[in-house]
Amino acid sequence: MNEITLIVNGTPHRTRVSDSALLLDVLREQAGCTSVREGCGVGACGACTVLVGETSVSSCLALATRYDGANITTAEGLDENDDVVSAFADCGAAQCGYCIPGFVLMTRELLAEHPRPTSEQITEHLEGNICRCGTYPEIRTAVSTAAERRSPR
Amino acid sequence: MMSTVDNPMVYGGGTAIQILIKQGILFADNFVDLAGIPGLTEITADAAGLRAGPMVTARGMETDDRVRRVAPLASTAYRHVANPRVRNTASIGGNLAHGDYRLDPPPALLALDATVEATSVRGTRSLPVRQFFVDFQQTALAPDELVTAVRIPAQPTGSAYRFVKYSSLSANDWPCASVAVLIAGREVHIGLGALAPVPRYASFDATGMTDQAAVDAALEVIAPLLDPIPDVRGSVRYKRRLAQVIVEDAVRGAWKDLDNA
Repeated sequence: MNEITLIVNGTPHRTRVSDSALLLDVLREQAGCTSVREGCGVGACGACTVLVGETSVSSCLALATRYDGANITTAEGLDENDDVVSAFADCGAAQCGYCIPGFVLMTRELLAEHPRPTSEQITEHLEGNICRCGTYPEIRTAVSTAAERRSPR
Repeated sequence: MMSTVDNPMVYGGGTAIQILIKQGILFADNFVDLAGIPGLTEITADAAGLRAGPMVTARGMETDDRVRRVAPLASTAYRHVANPRVRNTASIGGNLAHGDYRLDPPPALLALDATVEATSVRGTRSLPVRQFFVDFQQTALAPDELVTAVRIPAQPTGSAYRFVKYSSLSANDWPCASVAVLIAGREVHIGLGALAPVPRYASFDATGMTDQAAVDAALEVIAPLLDPIPDVRGSVRYKRRLAQVIVEDAVRGAWKDLDNA
């Protein structure tokens, strides 16, 4: 077992984890972040997305011990007035909502890199996120709306 | 350390290893984690080309200005790996050592004549990528050797390139055919992925050729290299046919860029 500290949404969580513990399970079971979800388990669907610093990571493929001391953002750490969160809500981008935390976090990463993303950049950046309800048109609108709110023309 | 533990496996980005563990098809007794070792994430560039550490991420290769400038074919191929989030973690050393015949970077590294720096307690040796993939899922690395760098020669000025990948199931699935083409001087270099048990390489001199002659020559040099593995992504016949289409597509595209340059 290893003792590690994860700084989750600004709050340090001191936890004991095995060598093989996945960040996904530690965040859900020990930090109470149930917005981090298992979907495919192989990094393809994006439901388990978290941000480490500003960088997106598939927590289902990540060893928890590697993130000792890391600053991790999950959807729980975002305010409802956050520009991306509010754009997703206003555009009706969620149906069942299972995948949405992943889409929101990927969108934050995208907008940090490209404040005014083209539609191609939106497609490319979100290509690893799957919505089984198929709300892709609303999600795309939400991303553009968030970009507009964050950096108006 | 790798020479002292039983049945070791290097743990790089871990994105492939975690999938293989979940699938129950990974057999290693000890993982040697590279995350804590300093200096493995550096990219340096000089007149000869690039040197990238094994823990540089696929996304790093995709977005780094020096890689985009010095070896745009490599940058393009790394951009095709998985999705941006997996590319944030996946390491380029692990991608090579994985040795899978369908990975995106190997065809580009073959066309570019990259070399792998492999280090063990016996010292460091340099392995041309063109001799690196020896058999199905098997590389020229010894069990106690670690990829310590990938060296990529600079693409010559006036060269043209294409990376093309076809997927027959979903866009994010393994390819059923992939190709990297580099036309440098009058030499045409072709790296093939997913079309044989290992990534394969061929080249020919295109001096005096028209675009059609170059396409014909390309199809001729790749013909003996094709040995596709039939699976859910296509039969042998299907993949052989796709190989012709994708190579023509890539050679023609690169040739057009050359004409327009």
